[in-house]
Amino acid sequence: MSLPEINTWRLVRKQHAFKLKSYAGMYTSLMAIQVIGMLFSLGGVSSGGVSGDEHSIEFRTYSSNVVIAFTFLWAFISSILITTRAYRNDDFTFVTNRLTSNLSNLLFLLSASVIAGITSIMTGNVNKVIAYFFYESDYIIATDITFQGLLMGTFVTILYIFAFAACGYLVGTIVQFHKLFIVVIPTLIIGSMFIGTNTHDTSLLLVWIMDTYGKETSILLFVLKMIGTVGLLFLLSITLSNRMEVKQ
Amino acid sequence: MNVIECKGLTKAYGRRQAIRNLSFTIEENKITGLIGRNGAGKTTLLKVIAGFFRKTSGEVHVFSYQPFNNLKVSANMIFIDDNITPPTALNLQELLESAASFYNNFDMELAKRLFDYFSFHPKQTHQSLSKGMKSTFNVIVGLAARCPLTIFDEPTTGMDSAVRRDFYRALLKDYIEHPRTIIISSHLLDEMDDMLEDILLMKEGQVLLHSSVLDLQEYAIAVSGNKQVISNWTKTKEVLYKKDIGVGNTYVVVRNELNELDKQQAHIEGLEISPVSIDDLSVHLTSNDKGGIDDVFTRD
Amino acid sequence: MIINSDGTKPIYVQIAEWLETEILNGNIQADEKMYSQYQLADIFNINPATAAKGISILANEAILYKKRGLGTFVSIDAKQIILTKRKDQTLKKLVKDLVVEAEHLNVSESELIQLIKDAGKNDEGDEE
Repeated sequence: MSLPEINTWRLVRKQHAFKLKSYAGMYTSLMAIQVIGMLFSLGGVSSGGVSGDEHSIEFRTYSSNVVIAFTFLWAFISSILITTRAYRNDDFTFVTNRLTSNLSNLLFLLSASVIAGITSIMTGNVNKVIAYFFYESDYIIATDITFQGLLMGTFVTILYIFAFAACGYLVGTIVQFHKLFIVVIPTLIIGSMFIGTNTHDTSLLLVWIMDTYGKETSILLFVLKMIGTVGLLFLLSITLSNRMEVKQ
Repeated sequence: MNVIECKGLTKAYGRRQAIRNLSFTIEENKITGLIGRNGAGKTTLLKVIAGFFRKTSGEVHVFSYQPFNNLKVSANMIFIDDNITPPTALNLQELLESAASFYNNFDMELAKRLFDYFSFHPKQTHQSLSKGMKSTFNVIVGLAARCPLTIFDEPTTGMDSAVRRDFYRALLKDYIEHPRTIIISSHLLDEMDDMLEDILLMKEGQVLLHSSVLDLQEYAIAVSGNKQVISNWTKTKEVLYKKDIGVGNTYVVVRNELNELDKQQAHIEGLEISPVSIDDLSVHLTSNDKGGIDDVFTRD
Repeated sequence: MIINSDGTKPIYVQIAEWLETEILNGNIQADEKMYSQYQLADIFNINPATAAKGISILANEAILYKKRGLGTFVSIDAKQIILTKRKDQTLKKLVKDLVVEAEHLNVSESELIQLIKDAGKNDEGDEE
């Protein structure tokens, strides 16, 4: 019996469109977490003060750092969430196989990362505006941000968010393999934070991550490293889940 | 043309074999009823066919492809059971539209008409529906998808009998207009045996019988009457089920290998002959070796 | 066929009998097209294969004939064949059952004949 050929990419795009609608809960949780992040940073992410005889100086810095950090966490957890059984079974309600399901998840996480990146940068600026209106202050020193700089910042943020998502996705996929990993993985992650802390101030893993990504000065190299890493993480997830059973 | 071919198919979870060494074929455009007791392996078999589960050994081909992880099989197959939990963010209308976007043959006209007939509201969400309404919505999707292979695993869970009757009727009418291969697993065989063409009877992970409904209706025959007469009469016959009624009477179900003369003879000897419904037959054939429920209550 | 008088006949037999009655009543005339298996499946809510078996019984008895690609039609002698068959088979069998049952109940021959006559009168009475 000959059946019509299925265009994989067309199906992936259909699934992506479906997920953009059906995973609406993700946007709500994103909003919630960014509002929380914003509230945390309302008073300034850092503050200090100097006081003399006649004058006292109090300064606060405002940035979107807290919001962005919260967004990383959101990306990580949300990605774990969409690897869970309930979400996988959703996929298999309609036409799919494991590859297209994973690819459309990847596309969804990318879309979500873009949205999350843009909104997190924006909320950072909202903070500054709030500070301008609500705090009695004499001076506001804003770092000059060119439009290009803003774009670049957003782009890098998106990449980081996507990388966190990729990590979460892999962790979620591994956990789906065996429930034991729910215990093993956090242990490994937390454990690795301490490796090397005897001789260094921070763990070797964090140092390595900072060295590889954070201290990269060439934007091109940074982007390549990020894409490579994210690609590798997703490839691992896809390979792992390709033989996984659904609807158990 | 065979839509499903299984040869020595086995699916094990660890040591436990849910289905073992199954061999059968299902031809194109037939409605097959998958029957068996709880735990006979029906759902496991259907999920292997649907490509959700990986076979452990043996062969399984759907549209002559291995179903596991196969996009072509997935695109031409729909699997409806009572565990479907669609995304909570979508309402019923959006769910129908999503289904239509995935299945090429999806008939939105039909879906909408059934949707209205069963008084669904487009803005309702799936999780707000009652159990029976969920099942009803699921079968609407299953029917309207018009997939060359349509699998219903216990589709009528929670439906009241009027809705079940409507569903059977809708399924049959749509099948007549658009013949396709349909498998239904159900415990309510009495309600739907008229609609089926074939029956696949499973017991303990194996195929006990695979036959047309027409043949099964004459597979066995029930005889009741005097205990002594019956026990003489059944000496040469294959007894499938036996039950004493009162002190002197017995009811037996035997393989129907009787000719007209046998039957007349039985009649003259005062035996009562009656047909055995497929539902009863399947219960007799799949009964376990521990006797009936009556034996549980017999203390001696 | 299973001997019984309580109507638990296989469905395809019931279909065949229903079609025969349609022909006897003149609802479908000789050389007219018979219901298709799909029409019957729809009318009786049964699988088309079951309906097809009902049709094929009648085709085997030459009550219906097939035209390739056009369907089945009622043969010229259909009514006659059905009447003969019903007399020869169905009625005789019913009578036989009746006699056996009468013996079980110790009903004498003359009593039985009287019962039959009475039943006939009652029927006429019902129709008035």
